[in-house]
Amino acid sequence: MGQLLRLILRNGGFLTLLLVEAFAFYIIVQWNTKQNAIFTHSLGLFTGRVLDKRQQMSDYTSLKEQNRKLHDENTKLHEQLSLINSIEISKKDTSFITIRIDTIRLGDSVAVSKIVRPQYRYIAARVIGNSIDGANNWIFLNRGSDDGLRPNMGVLTGDGIVGIVRHVDRHFSAAMSVLHREAKISVSLKKQKALGSLIWDGGDPTIAFLKFVPKHFDVKEDDEIVTSGFSDVFPKGIPVGKVLGDPRPDKENQYFWDIKVRLSQDMSSVSDVYVVDNIFSVELDSLKQKVQR
Amino acid sequence: MSNSIFPNIWRFLGLVATQGLLLHQVGLTVNEYFNIILYPLFILLLPIQLSTTAAVLLGFLAGLAVDMFYATPGVHASAGAFSGYARFIILKGFEPKGDYTGKEPIPAPVYFGWPWFLKVSGAFFAAHLFWYFSVSEFSIIYFTTISVKTIASWLLTMPFVILYCIMFVPKN
Repeated sequence: MGQLLRLILRNGGFLTLLLVEAFAFYIIVQWNTKQNAIFTHSLGLFTGRVLDKRQQMSDYTSLKEQNRKLHDENTKLHEQLSLINSIEISKKDTSFITIRIDTIRLGDSVAVSKIVRPQYRYIAARVIGNSIDGANNWIFLNRGSDDGLRPNMGVLTGDGIVGIVRHVDRHFSAAMSVLHREAKISVSLKKQKALGSLIWDGGDPTIAFLKFVPKHFDVKEDDEIVTSGFSDVFPKGIPVGKVLGDPRPDKENQYFWDIKVRLSQDMSSVSDVYVVDNIFSVELDSLKQKVQR
Repeated sequence: MSNSIFPNIWRFLGLVATQGLLLHQVGLTVNEYFNIILYPLFILLLPIQLSTTAAVLLGFLAGLAVDMFYATPGVHASAGAFSGYARFIILKGFEPKGDYTGKEPIPAPVYFGWPWFLKVSGAFFAAHLFWYFSVSEFSIIYFTTISVKTIASWLLTMPFVILYCIMFVPKN
């Protein structure tokens, strides 16, 4: 005990220095704009790297499961590709024929009057941070502005939608999760083509709610819900979930259903994602602004 | 007791006011590399027998007072506290033969000679200025700027340290 006391007394100056410097550091970061900006940026980079390392370890231990998922996703993509290959193009007399893209040769007598342009570009990213237990959850990605990410890009997996990019740094970005109370995603019932909004109430992370579907639509359990393609964020037809139980009348508006949705993407195990870049988003925004004027 | 307290209080007030009202304005008028930082002389000229803890706390207070003029909360305070501790190391490093006798109240040229004082104050101000500009720039990527500012500021400050000691520090 005496030795400990002597040690403290002997090193009192150094301990005081550490305490005072810690206090000074706090004041500096809190009250100085320049230092605060540098600190916040450095902390972001550090957190990103730590989360990245943690994710690398987690990836290593779950390689088998990821391989299976990637294989499934590849199969789906092949199916979609074969569909795209059989597109409709119009002849001069406006009657439609179906031909395969890979059969078109130079000098063919078919006049291609309808050119199919890809509207979306996909950027592969890895989730390095994800929460599902808060009222407003965020997902952190290992891709940033250097990789072409911008705010308002959709984030999805082969299973369904995941969120919307909100904040972008050079190497990392933060996406508002589907499990965020301010997230409102334009979706539709696949069979009935009825539009609605997907929202989350902050409760069960596997369940969301579909609002604003008029009551004259006949909605049944297990009906599929997909993205509507009207929001510029997600392409049309991306899986969102399935209707859970019978729909109930909306308490706030008697003309609409309040539909429980079991999300198709398990938000607790999001790992590899795709960020959707709508190539025409700037053009579309500009057009919308003209209309609003 | 009051004999040793009052000179330090006057030195604190005088150096902090000179730093905040005069030297700060001079720096603003010229450019960002023109910094005369004289107030740490208050920390260096504290009584030799003062504990390191007290020197750290007084250095922090002096820095905080200067921060009020510079509108940089904590930056000078951090450098002041650091200098309070650096002073202890430097005085230990430049200890005269036979230790400090206790007859020398402060580390001034009149007690130890000008060569000794120039070495001690040179090392002390180099340490203080390097820490101050490091905290001020706040990132290792500005190491070159920090070094250039430290050297420029040291060269500008040292003549004022000597001038102050000639004019205000007791001769005997």
